[in-house]
Amino acid sequence: MSTHSSLKDAFSSYADHLNALNEKRERIVKASRDVTMNSKKVIFQVHRISKANREEVLEKAEKDLAAVRDQHISRLVKELQGTDFWKLRRAYSPGVQEYVEAATFFKFCQTGTLLNLDEINASLLSLSDPSLEPLQINLLDYLLGLADLTGELMRLAIGRISDGEVEYSERICQFVRDIYRELTLLVPLMDDGSDMKTKMDTMLQSVVKIENACFSVRVRGSEYIPLLGSSDPSSFLVGVSDAEL
Amino acid sequence: MKSALRNAYYFTLSRYSLNPNPSLLHIVPFISTFPSLPSVLSRNHPFRSPLCATLMTGGDSDSPQTSPSLEKQFEKFRVQLEDSGSLRERIRAVVLEIESATRLMQASLLLVHQSKPIPEVLQKANSQINVLKDLYNKLAEVVRECPGQYYRYHGDWRSETQMVVSLLAFMHWLETGNLLMHTEAEEKLGLNNSDFALDLEDYLVGVCFMSNEMPRYVVNQVTAGDYDCPRKVLKFLTDLHAAFRMLNLRNDFLRKKFDSMKYDLRRVEEVYYDVKIRGLATTGDSVGDQGAQKI
Repeated sequence: MSTHSSLKDAFSSYADHLNALNEKRERIVKASRDVTMNSKKVIFQVHRISKANREEVLEKAEKDLAAVRDQHISRLVKELQGTDFWKLRRAYSPGVQEYVEAATFFKFCQTGTLLNLDEINASLLSLSDPSLEPLQINLLDYLLGLADLTGELMRLAIGRISDGEVEYSERICQFVRDIYRELTLLVPLMDDGSDMKTKMDTMLQSVVKIENACFSVRVRGSEYIPLLGSSDPSSFLVGVSDAEL
Repeated sequence: MKSALRNAYYFTLSRYSLNPNPSLLHIVPFISTFPSLPSVLSRNHPFRSPLCATLMTGGDSDSPQTSPSLEKQFEKFRVQLEDSGSLRERIRAVVLEIESATRLMQASLLLVHQSKPIPEVLQKANSQINVLKDLYNKLAEVVRECPGQYYRYHGDWRSETQMVVSLLAFMHWLETGNLLMHTEAEEKLGLNNSDFALDLEDYLVGVCFMSNEMPRYVVNQVTAGDYDCPRKVLKFLTDLHAAFRMLNLRNDFLRKKFDSMKYDLRRVEEVYYDVKIRGLATTGDSVGDQGAQKI
Protein backbone atom coordinates (compact mmCIF):
# COMPACT_ATOMS: atom_id res chain seq x y z
CA MET A 1 0.00 0.00 0.00
CA SER A 2 1.27 3.48 -0.68
CA THR A 3 2.78 4.94 2.39
CA HIS A 4 0.41 7.65 3.31
CA SER A 5 3.05 10.02 4.55
CA SER A 6 5.37 9.69 1.57
CA LEU A 7 2.44 10.41 -0.72
CA LYS A 8 1.60 13.45 1.37
CA ASP A 9 5.20 14.64 1.40
CA ALA A 10 5.56 14.23 -2.33
CA PHE A 11 2.38 16.09 -3.10
CA SER A 12 3.23 18.77 -0.64
CA SER A 13 6.40 19.48 -2.59
CA TYR A 14 4.45 19.33 -5.87
CA ALA A 15 2.05 21.88 -4.40
CA ASP A 16 4.94 24.18 -3.48
CA HIS A 17 6.36 23.95 -6.97
CA LEU A 18 3.02 24.70 -8.62
CA ASN A 19 2.24 27.53 -6.23
CA ALA A 20 5.56 29.21 -6.94
CA LEU A 21 4.98 28.83 -10.66
CA ASN A 22 1.47 30.22 -10.55
CA GLU A 23 2.41 33.15 -8.36
CA LYS A 24 5.26 33.99 -10.70
CA ARG A 25 2.90 33.76 -13.62
CA GLU A 26 0.51 36.18 -11.89
CA ARG A 27 3.28 38.71 -11.32
CA ILE A 28 4.33 38.44 -14.94
CA VAL A 29 0.80 38.94 -16.20
CA LYS A 30 0.46 42.06 -14.08
CA ALA A 31 3.75 43.48 -15.31
CA SER A 32 2.80 42.62 -18.87
CA ARG A 33 -0.49 44.49 -18.51
CA ASP A 34 1.33 47.56 -17.28
CA VAL A 35 3.77 47.32 -20.17
CA THR A 36 0.84 47.13 -22.58
CA MET A 37 -0.98 50.09 -21.09
CA ASN A 38 2.02 52.35 -20.96
CA SER A 39 3.24 51.34 -24.42
CA LYS A 40 -0.17 52.27 -25.79
CA LYS A 41 0.28 55.69 -24.20
CA VAL A 42 3.54 56.12 -26.07
CA ILE A 43 1.80 55.23 -29.31
CA PHE A 44 -0.96 57.76 -28.70
CA GLN A 45 1.67 60.34 -27.89
CA VAL A 46 3.53 59.73 -31.14
CA HIS A 47 0.30 59.98 -33.12
CA ARG A 48 0.01 63.59 -32.03
CA ILE A 49 2.96 64.37 -34.23
CA SER A 50 2.79 67.06 -36.86
CA LYS A 51 5.29 69.35 -38.56
CA ALA A 52 4.81 71.94 -35.89
CA ASN A 53 5.35 69.88 -32.76
CA ARG A 54 7.62 67.12 -34.01
CA GLU A 55 10.55 67.69 -31.69
CA GLU A 56 8.44 68.10 -28.61
CA VAL A 57 6.29 65.05 -29.29
CA LEU A 58 9.27 62.83 -29.98
CA GLU A 59 11.10 64.04 -26.91
CA LYS A 60 8.20 63.17 -24.66
CA ALA A 61 7.66 59.84 -26.38
CA GLU A 62 11.28 58.91 -25.89
CA LYS A 63 11.03 59.67 -22.20
CA ASP A 64 7.83 57.68 -21.85
CA LEU A 65 9.32 54.73 -23.69
CA ALA A 66 12.31 54.74 -21.36
CA ALA A 67 9.91 54.80 -18.43
CA VAL A 68 8.11 51.71 -19.75
CA ARG A 69 11.46 49.99 -19.92
CA ASP A 70 12.73 51.07 -16.53
CA GLN A 71 9.55 50.73 -14.53
CA HIS A 72 7.68 47.83 -16.07
CA ILE A 73 9.80 45.73 -18.36
CA SER A 74 12.36 45.61 -15.58
CA ARG A 75 9.82 43.69 -13.51
CA LEU A 76 9.87 40.96 -16.13
CA VAL A 77 13.62 40.58 -15.98
CA LYS A 78 13.65 39.23 -12.49
CA GLU A 79 10.90 36.74 -13.10
CA LEU A 80 12.07 35.36 -16.39
CA GLN A 81 15.18 33.39 -15.72
CA GLY A 82 16.22 30.11 -17.32
CA THR A 83 13.42 28.02 -18.72
CA ASP A 84 10.76 30.52 -17.57
CA PHE A 85 11.43 32.56 -20.65
CA TRP A 86 9.68 30.10 -22.92
CA LYS A 87 7.54 28.36 -20.34
CA LEU A 88 5.74 31.55 -19.35
CA ARG A 89 5.79 33.24 -22.71
CA ARG A 90 2.04 33.41 -23.02
CA ALA A 91 1.92 35.46 -19.83
CA TYR A 92 4.15 38.28 -21.04
CA SER A 93 3.97 38.07 -24.83
CA PRO A 94 1.13 40.56 -25.31
CA GLY A 95 2.98 43.19 -23.29
CA VAL A 96 6.22 42.64 -25.13
CA GLN A 97 4.47 42.84 -28.49
CA GLU A 98 2.91 46.15 -27.53
CA TYR A 99 6.29 47.45 -26.41
CA VAL A 100 7.87 46.42 -29.71
CA GLU A 101 5.03 48.19 -31.50
CA ALA A 102 5.62 51.39 -29.52
CA ALA A 103 9.40 51.32 -29.82
CA THR A 104 9.42 50.67 -33.56
CA PHE A 105 6.73 53.30 -34.11
CA PHE A 106 8.75 55.87 -32.24
CA LYS A 107 11.93 54.96 -34.13
CA PHE A 108 10.20 55.27 -37.48
CA CYS A 109 8.87 58.70 -36.68
CA GLN A 110 12.26 59.75 -35.44
CA THR A 111 14.46 58.41 -38.26
CA GLY A 112 12.27 56.74 -40.87
CA THR A 113 13.97 53.40 -40.28
CA LEU A 114 13.04 50.13 -38.67
CA LEU A 115 14.26 49.46 -35.16
CA ASN A 116 16.04 46.11 -35.28
CA LEU A 117 15.51 43.31 -32.84
CA ASP A 118 19.17 43.51 -31.89
CA GLU A 119 18.83 47.21 -31.17
CA ILE A 120 15.78 46.71 -28.96
CA ASN A 121 17.50 43.93 -27.07
CA ALA A 122 20.62 46.02 -26.60
CA SER A 123 18.49 48.68 -24.96
CA LEU A 124 17.17 46.11 -22.49
CA LEU A 125 20.57 44.88 -21.35
CA SER A 126 20.94 47.65 -18.83
CA LEU A 127 17.80 46.54 -17.01
CA SER A 128 19.34 43.52 -15.42
CA ASP A 129 22.37 43.18 -13.32
CA PRO A 130 25.18 41.04 -14.64
CA SER A 131 24.31 38.16 -12.33
CA LEU A 132 20.93 37.75 -13.99
CA GLU A 133 20.11 36.53 -17.44
CA PRO A 134 19.15 39.57 -19.49
CA LEU A 135 15.67 39.84 -20.88
CA GLN A 136 15.89 39.40 -24.60
CA ILE A 137 12.83 39.69 -26.77
CA ASN A 138 12.49 36.70 -29.00
CA LEU A 139 12.03 36.71 -32.73
CA LEU A 140 8.38 35.66 -32.63
CA ASP A 141 7.24 38.44 -30.31
CA TYR A 142 9.22 40.94 -32.34
CA LEU A 143 7.51 39.90 -35.56
CA LEU A 144 4.08 39.95 -33.94
CA GLY A 145 4.75 43.44 -32.62
CA LEU A 146 5.93 44.50 -36.05
CA ALA A 147 2.68 43.34 -37.57
CA ASP A 148 0.78 45.57 -35.16
CA LEU A 149 3.11 48.45 -35.98
CA THR A 150 1.83 48.51 -39.53
CA GLY A 151 -1.68 49.27 -38.28
CA GLU A 152 -0.40 52.32 -36.42
CA LEU A 153 1.61 53.40 -39.45
CA MET A 154 -1.53 53.23 -41.52
CA ARG A 155 -3.26 55.56 -39.08
CA LEU A 156 -0.26 57.84 -39.15
CA ALA A 157 -0.20 57.91 -42.94
CA ILE A 158 -3.88 58.79 -43.21
CA GLY A 159 -3.42 61.48 -40.59
CA ARG A 160 -0.43 62.96 -42.37
CA ILE A 161 -2.28 63.05 -45.66
CA SER A 162 -5.04 65.05 -44.01
CA ASP A 163 -2.39 67.48 -42.92
CA GLY A 164 -1.10 67.70 -46.43
CA GLU A 165 2.11 65.73 -45.82
CA VAL A 166 1.53 63.45 -48.77
CA GLU A 167 5.17 62.72 -49.43
CA TYR A 168 5.65 61.55 -45.89
CA SER A 169 2.67 59.25 -46.28
CA GLU A 170 4.14 57.81 -49.43
CA ARG A 171 7.31 57.04 -47.52
CA ILE A 172 5.23 55.33 -44.88
CA CYS A 173 3.51 53.40 -47.64
CA GLN A 174 6.79 52.19 -49.03
CA PHE A 175 8.00 51.20 -45.57
CA VAL A 176 4.87 49.23 -44.78
CA ARG A 177 5.05 47.54 -48.17
CA ASP A 178 8.62 46.45 -47.42
CA ILE A 179 7.66 45.01 -44.07
CA TYR A 180 4.71 43.19 -45.56
CA ARG A 181 6.85 41.72 -48.28
CA GLU A 182 9.54 40.53 -45.89
CA LEU A 183 7.01 39.05 -43.53
CA THR A 184 5.28 36.97 -46.18
CA LEU A 185 8.45 34.91 -46.38
CA LEU A 186 8.61 34.40 -42.64
CA VAL A 187 5.03 33.74 -41.64
CA PRO A 188 4.88 30.14 -42.89
CA LEU A 189 8.00 29.36 -40.87
CA MET A 190 6.77 30.76 -37.58
CA ASP A 191 6.04 28.56 -34.58
CA ASP A 192 2.44 29.40 -33.84
CA GLY A 193 1.59 30.74 -37.24
CA SER A 194 -2.12 31.20 -36.85
CA ASP A 195 -1.92 34.52 -34.96
CA MET A 196 0.45 35.87 -37.50
CA LYS A 197 -1.68 34.80 -40.45
CA THR A 198 -4.57 36.88 -39.19
CA LYS A 199 -2.26 39.80 -38.65
CA MET A 200 -0.97 39.49 -42.20
CA ASP A 201 -4.50 39.87 -43.54
CA THR A 202 -4.99 43.00 -41.48
CA MET A 203 -1.59 44.25 -42.60
CA LEU A 204 -2.47 43.92 -46.24
CA GLN A 205 -5.63 45.89 -45.58
CA SER A 206 -3.54 48.60 -43.95
CA VAL A 207 -1.19 48.75 -46.92
CA VAL A 208 -4.11 49.01 -49.31
CA LYS A 209 -5.71 51.74 -47.21
CA ILE A 210 -2.57 53.82 -47.38
CA GLU A 211 -2.19 53.18 -51.10
CA ASN A 212 -5.81 54.17 -51.72
CA ALA A 213 -5.40 57.33 -49.71
CA CYS A 214 -2.30 58.33 -51.67
CA PHE A 215 -4.13 57.48 -54.87
CA SER A 216 -7.10 59.61 -53.88
CA VAL A 217 -4.93 62.59 -53.23
CA ARG A 218 -3.19 62.26 -56.56
CA VAL A 219 -6.23 61.67 -58.64
CA ARG A 220 -8.57 64.04 -56.94
CA GLY A 221 -6.00 66.61 -55.84
CA SER A 222 -6.81 69.01 -58.62
CA GLU A 223 -10.52 68.57 -58.00
CA TYR A 224 -10.11 69.68 -54.45
CA ILE A 225 -9.50 73.28 -55.36
CA PRO A 226 -12.99 73.93 -56.75
CA LEU A 227 -14.39 72.09 -53.75
CA LEU A 228 -13.66 74.97 -51.46
CA GLY A 229 -14.33 73.99 -47.89
CA SER A 230 -15.49 70.66 -49.18
CA SER A 231 -17.41 68.56 -46.76
CA ASP A 232 -16.47 65.46 -48.70
CA PRO A 233 -14.82 63.47 -45.94
CA SER A 234 -12.12 62.16 -48.23
CA SER A 235 -11.08 65.63 -49.19
CA PHE A 236 -8.17 66.86 -47.25
CA LEU A 237 -9.48 70.36 -47.62
CA VAL A 238 -12.49 69.46 -45.55
CA GLY A 239 -13.51 72.41 -43.52
CA VAL A 240 -11.14 74.83 -45.21
CA SER A 241 -12.78 78.15 -45.95
CA ASP A 242 -12.42 80.07 -49.20
CA ALA A 243 -10.41 82.76 -47.50
CA GLU A 244 -7.55 80.43 -46.68
CA LEU A 245 -7.16 79.52 -50.31
CA MET B 1 0.47 74.85 -49.48
CA LYS B 2 -2.56 76.26 -51.15
CA SER B 3 -0.71 78.30 -53.76
CA ALA B 4 1.36 75.30 -54.76
CA LEU B 5 -1.84 73.42 -55.29
CA ARG B 6 -3.19 76.25 -57.35
CA ASN B 7 -0.10 76.10 -59.54
CA ALA B 8 -0.57 72.42 -59.97
CA TYR B 9 -4.16 72.98 -60.87
CA TYR B 10 -3.35 75.58 -63.53
CA PHE B 11 -0.58 73.43 -64.86
CA THR B 12 -2.80 70.43 -65.23
CA LEU B 13 -5.43 72.61 -66.83
CA SER B 14 -2.98 73.75 -69.45
CA ARG B 15 -1.91 70.21 -70.14
CA TYR B 16 -5.47 69.19 -70.24
CA SER B 17 -6.30 71.69 -72.94
CA LEU B 18 -3.40 70.54 -75.08
CA ASN B 19 -4.28 66.95 -74.65
CA PRO B 20 -7.14 65.87 -76.89
CA ASN B 21 -8.01 63.06 -74.54
CA PRO B 22 -10.28 64.41 -71.88
CA SER B 23 -9.46 61.83 -69.24
CA LEU B 24 -7.85 63.54 -66.32
CA LEU B 25 -5.97 60.43 -65.40
CA HIS B 26 -3.80 60.75 -68.46
CA ILE B 27 -2.36 63.91 -67.02
CA VAL B 28 -0.52 62.10 -64.35
CA PRO B 29 1.98 60.28 -66.60
CA PHE B 30 2.46 63.45 -68.63
CA ILE B 31 3.43 65.36 -65.58
CA SER B 32 6.06 62.90 -64.56
CA THR B 33 7.88 63.20 -67.87
CA PHE B 34 7.72 66.97 -68.07
CA PRO B 35 11.20 68.20 -67.17
CA SER B 36 10.56 71.75 -66.05
CA LEU B 37 8.02 70.79 -63.50
CA PRO B 38 9.89 71.40 -60.26
CA SER B 39 10.80 74.95 -61.23
CA VAL B 40 7.19 75.77 -61.94
CA LEU B 41 5.88 74.51 -58.71
CA SER B 42 8.01 74.06 -55.75
CA ARG B 43 11.07 76.21 -55.83
CA ASN B 44 10.10 78.64 -53.16
CA HIS B 45 7.82 76.47 -51.21
CA PRO B 46 9.01 74.27 -48.39
CA PHE B 47 5.86 72.33 -48.88
CA ARG B 48 5.93 70.56 -52.21
CA SER B 49 2.93 70.04 -54.40
CA PRO B 50 1.27 66.78 -53.63
CA LEU B 51 0.57 66.04 -57.27
CA CYS B 52 3.90 66.62 -58.83
CA ALA B 53 6.72 66.64 -56.37
CA THR B 54 5.87 63.23 -55.14
CA LEU B 55 5.94 62.06 -58.71
CA MET B 56 9.36 63.60 -59.14
CA THR B 57 10.63 61.69 -56.18
CA GLY B 58 9.00 59.03 -58.27
CA GLY B 59 8.62 56.45 -55.51
CA ASP B 60 12.38 56.68 -55.08
CA SER B 61 12.87 54.70 -58.25
CA ASP B 62 16.61 55.35 -58.20
CA SER B 63 17.22 54.41 -54.60
CA PRO B 64 17.12 50.74 -53.49
CA GLN B 65 13.69 49.36 -52.96
CA THR B 66 14.34 48.16 -49.45
CA SER B 67 16.97 49.40 -47.06
CA PRO B 68 19.80 46.87 -46.93
CA SER B 69 19.80 46.64 -43.15
CA LEU B 70 16.10 45.78 -43.22
CA GLU B 71 16.70 43.01 -45.70
CA LYS B 72 19.68 41.71 -43.77
CA GLN B 73 17.69 41.48 -40.57
CA PHE B 74 14.84 39.61 -42.21
CA GLU B 75 17.22 37.29 -43.99
CA LYS B 76 18.74 36.45 -40.61
CA PHE B 77 15.25 35.82 -39.25
CA ARG B 78 14.47 33.52 -42.12
CA VAL B 79 17.54 31.43 -41.41
CA GLN B 80 16.70 31.26 -37.70
CA LEU B 81 13.14 30.23 -38.37
CA GLU B 82 14.19 27.61 -40.88
CA ASP B 83 16.60 26.19 -38.32
CA SER B 84 13.96 26.03 -35.64
CA GLY B 85 11.55 24.53 -38.17
CA SER B 86 13.92 21.73 -39.04
CA LEU B 87 14.63 21.12 -35.37
CA ARG B 88 10.93 20.81 -34.79
CA GLU B 89 10.70 18.26 -37.60
CA ARG B 90 13.39 16.15 -35.98
CA ILE B 91 11.60 16.38 -32.66
CA ARG B 92 8.37 15.25 -34.27
CA ALA B 93 10.12 12.27 -35.84
CA VAL B 94 11.32 11.06 -32.43
CA VAL B 95 7.94 11.75 -30.88
CA LEU B 96 6.27 9.58 -33.52
CA GLU B 97 8.51 6.75 -32.46
CA ILE B 98 7.67 7.40 -28.83
CA GLU B 99 4.03 7.23 -29.76
CA SER B 100 4.40 3.89 -31.45
CA ALA B 101 6.33 2.36 -28.55
CA THR B 102 3.64 3.70 -26.25
CA ARG B 103 0.92 2.06 -28.30
CA LEU B 104 2.69 -1.29 -28.05
CA MET B 105 2.95 -0.87 -24.31
CA GLN B 106 -0.69 0.08 -24.08
CA ALA B 107 -1.81 -2.89 -26.17
CA SER B 108 0.01 -5.26 -23.83
CA LEU B 109 -1.45 -3.61 -20.77
CA LEU B 110 -4.96 -3.91 -22.11
CA LEU B 111 -4.66 -7.67 -21.57
CA VAL B 112 -5.03 -6.93 -17.90
CA HIS B 113 -8.72 -6.35 -18.47
CA GLN B 114 -8.98 -9.82 -19.92
CA SER B 115 -7.56 -11.25 -16.69
CA LYS B 116 -4.33 -12.40 -18.16
CA PRO B 117 -1.97 -12.93 -15.24
CA ILE B 118 -0.36 -9.72 -14.21
CA PRO B 119 3.30 -10.78 -14.31
CA GLU B 120 2.88 -11.96 -17.89
CA VAL B 121 1.22 -8.73 -18.95
CA LEU B 122 3.83 -6.66 -17.21
CA GLN B 123 6.69 -8.50 -18.77
CA LYS B 124 5.61 -7.59 -22.28
CA ALA B 125 4.89 -4.01 -21.32
CA ASN B 126 8.16 -3.63 -19.44
CA SER B 127 10.14 -4.50 -22.53
CA GLN B 128 8.94 -1.27 -24.08
CA ILE B 129 10.29 0.80 -21.23
CA ASN B 130 13.84 0.47 -22.46
CA VAL B 131 12.75 1.47 -25.92
CA LEU B 132 11.13 4.56 -24.44
CA LYS B 133 14.18 5.33 -22.38
CA ASP B 134 16.31 5.38 -25.51
CA LEU B 135 13.81 7.47 -27.40
CA TYR B 136 13.55 10.07 -24.66
CA ASN B 137 17.28 10.31 -24.54
CA LYS B 138 17.32 10.79 -28.29
CA LEU B 139 14.76 13.55 -27.83
CA ALA B 140 16.85 15.13 -25.10
CA GLU B 141 19.84 15.18 -27.43
CA VAL B 142 17.93 16.96 -30.15
CA VAL B 143 16.53 19.54 -27.77
CA ARG B 144 19.95 20.06 -26.23
CA GLU B 145 20.96 21.73 -29.48
CA CYS B 146 19.00 24.80 -28.49
CA PRO B 147 19.59 25.19 -24.77
CA GLY B 148 16.88 26.87 -22.74
CA GLN B 149 14.21 26.19 -25.34
CA TYR B 150 12.68 23.04 -23.82
CA TYR B 151 9.40 24.82 -23.37
CA ARG B 152 9.44 26.28 -26.84
CA TYR B 153 8.95 22.82 -28.27
CA HIS B 154 7.32 21.23 -25.25
CA GLY B 155 3.90 21.11 -26.91
CA ASP B 156 5.30 18.64 -29.40
CA TRP B 157 5.81 15.94 -26.80
CA ARG B 158 3.44 16.97 -24.06
CA SER B 159 0.45 14.73 -24.69
CA GLU B 160 2.59 11.73 -25.65
CA THR B 161 4.53 12.11 -22.40
CA GLN B 162 1.35 12.33 -20.37
CA MET B 163 0.25 9.03 -21.89
CA VAL B 164 3.62 7.44 -21.17
CA VAL B 165 3.42 8.51 -17.52
CA SER B 166 -0.10 7.13 -17.18
CA LEU B 167 0.99 3.73 -18.47
CA LEU B 168 4.12 3.65 -16.32
CA ALA B 169 2.10 4.62 -13.26
CA PHE B 170 -0.50 1.93 -13.95
CA MET B 171 2.19 -0.68 -14.37
CA HIS B 172 3.87 0.42 -11.17
CA TRP B 173 0.61 0.15 -9.32
CA LEU B 174 -0.03 -3.34 -10.69
CA GLU B 175 3.43 -4.35 -9.51
CA THR B 176 3.53 -2.65 -6.13
CA GLY B 177 0.15 -1.19 -5.28
CA ASN B 178 1.84 2.19 -4.90
CA LEU B 179 1.83 5.45 -6.79
CA LEU B 180 4.79 6.03 -9.07
CA MET B 181 6.38 9.28 -7.89
CA HIS B 182 7.55 12.07 -10.15
CA THR B 183 11.22 11.34 -9.56
CA GLU B 184 10.65 7.61 -10.02
CA ALA B 185 8.97 8.26 -13.34
CA GLU B 186 11.91 10.38 -14.41
CA GLU B 187 14.26 7.58 -13.47
CA LYS B 188 12.34 5.02 -15.46
CA LEU B 189 12.71 7.20 -18.53
CA GLY B 190 16.36 7.92 -17.88
CA LEU B 191 15.67 11.60 -17.40
CA ASN B 192 16.65 12.04 -13.78
CA ASN B 193 20.10 13.45 -14.38
CA SER B 194 19.20 15.26 -17.49
CA ASP B 195 18.58 18.87 -18.35
CA PHE B 196 15.61 17.43 -20.21
CA ALA B 197 13.22 16.97 -17.31
CA LEU B 198 9.83 15.39 -16.93
CA ASP B 199 7.54 18.37 -16.56
CA LEU B 200 5.67 18.16 -13.26
CA GLU B 201 2.31 19.03 -14.77
CA ASP B 202 2.76 16.38 -17.46
CA TYR B 203 3.43 13.88 -14.69
CA LEU B 204 0.33 14.93 -12.75
CA VAL B 205 -1.90 14.75 -15.83
CA GLY B 206 -0.47 11.31 -16.55
CA VAL B 207 -1.43 10.20 -13.05
CA CYS B 208 -4.99 11.44 -13.63
CA PHE B 209 -5.15 9.45 -16.87
CA MET B 210 -4.08 6.41 -14.90
CA SER B 211 -6.89 6.92 -12.42
CA ASN B 212 -9.31 7.03 -15.36
CA GLU B 213 -8.37 3.41 -16.07
CA MET B 214 -9.15 2.20 -12.56
CA PRO B 215 -12.94 1.88 -12.70
CA ARG B 216 -12.77 -0.28 -15.79
CA TYR B 217 -10.04 -2.41 -14.27
CA VAL B 218 -11.96 -2.93 -11.06
CA VAL B 219 -15.16 -3.91 -12.86
CA ASN B 220 -13.39 -6.49 -14.96
CA GLN B 221 -11.47 -7.88 -12.01
CA VAL B 222 -14.66 -8.42 -10.07
CA THR B 223 -16.27 -10.09 -13.05
CA ALA B 224 -13.29 -12.42 -13.17
CA GLY B 225 -13.76 -13.26 -9.50
CA ASP B 226 -11.22 -11.01 -7.74
CA TYR B 227 -13.47 -9.59 -5.04
CA ASP B 228 -10.67 -8.04 -3.06
CA CYS B 229 -9.61 -5.71 -5.82
CA PRO B 230 -12.25 -3.03 -5.20
CA ARG B 231 -11.12 -2.51 -1.64
CA LYS B 232 -7.50 -2.08 -2.64
CA VAL B 233 -8.31 0.23 -5.53
CA LEU B 234 -10.67 2.26 -3.40
CA LYS B 235 -8.06 2.86 -0.76
CA PHE B 236 -5.49 3.78 -3.37
CA LEU B 237 -7.74 6.18 -5.22
CA THR B 238 -9.00 7.77 -2.02
CA ASP B 239 -5.44 8.45 -0.90
CA LEU B 240 -4.53 9.70 -4.35
CA HIS B 241 -7.49 12.02 -4.54
CA ALA B 242 -6.71 13.37 -1.07
CA ALA B 243 -3.12 14.03 -2.11
CA PHE B 244 -4.26 15.85 -5.22
CA ARG B 245 -6.54 18.00 -3.09
CA MET B 246 -3.38 19.48 -1.57
CA LEU B 247 -2.62 21.12 -4.90
CA ASN B 248 -3.89 24.59 -5.67
CA LEU B 249 -4.92 24.06 -9.22
CA ARG B 250 -5.91 26.85 -11.58
CA ASN B 251 -8.70 26.38 -14.09
CA ASP B 252 -6.64 24.56 -16.65
CA PHE B 253 -6.36 21.15 -18.26
CA LEU B 254 -4.82 19.59 -15.15
CA ARG B 255 -7.70 20.87 -13.08
CA LYS B 256 -10.21 19.30 -15.45
CA LYS B 257 -8.40 15.98 -15.27
CA PHE B 258 -8.34 16.16 -11.51
CA ASP B 259 -12.06 16.81 -11.49
CA SER B 260 -12.60 13.67 -13.54
CA MET B 261 -10.75 11.69 -10.87
CA LYS B 262 -13.72 12.35 -8.60
CA TYR B 263 -15.93 10.37 -10.94
CA ASP B 264 -13.41 7.53 -11.11
CA LEU B 265 -13.46 7.44 -7.32
CA ARG B 266 -17.20 7.41 -7.19
CA ARG B 267 -17.44 4.58 -9.72
CA VAL B 268 -14.96 2.48 -7.75
CA GLU B 269 -16.92 3.19 -4.57
CA GLU B 270 -20.03 1.86 -6.25
CA VAL B 271 -18.28 -1.32 -7.29
CA TYR B 272 -16.87 -1.75 -3.80
CA TYR B 273 -20.31 -1.25 -2.30
CA ASP B 274 -21.87 -3.75 -4.74
CA VAL B 275 -19.34 -6.35 -3.76
CA LYS B 276 -19.46 -5.64 -0.04
CA ILE B 277 -23.20 -5.71 0.53
CA ARG B 278 -23.44 -9.00 -1.25
CA GLY B 279 -20.82 -10.37 1.06
CA LEU B 280 -18.61 -11.22 -1.82
CA ALA B 281 -15.48 -9.66 -0.43
CA THR B 282 -13.56 -12.28 1.51
CA THR B 283 -10.80 -10.31 3.20
CA GLY B 284 -10.41 -7.08 5.10
CA ASP B 285 -13.60 -5.73 6.59
CA SER B 286 -15.98 -8.01 4.80
CA VAL B 287 -19.34 -8.38 6.44
CA GLY B 288 -20.82 -11.64 5.24
CA ASP B 289 -19.54 -15.21 5.13
CA GLN B 290 -17.63 -16.64 2.29
CA GLY B 291 -19.74 -17.45 -0.68
CA ALA B 292 -22.67 -15.56 -2.00
CA GLN B 293 -25.20 -15.01 0.74
CA LYS B 294 -28.34 -13.50 -0.60
CA ILE B 295 -29.45 -10.74 1.71
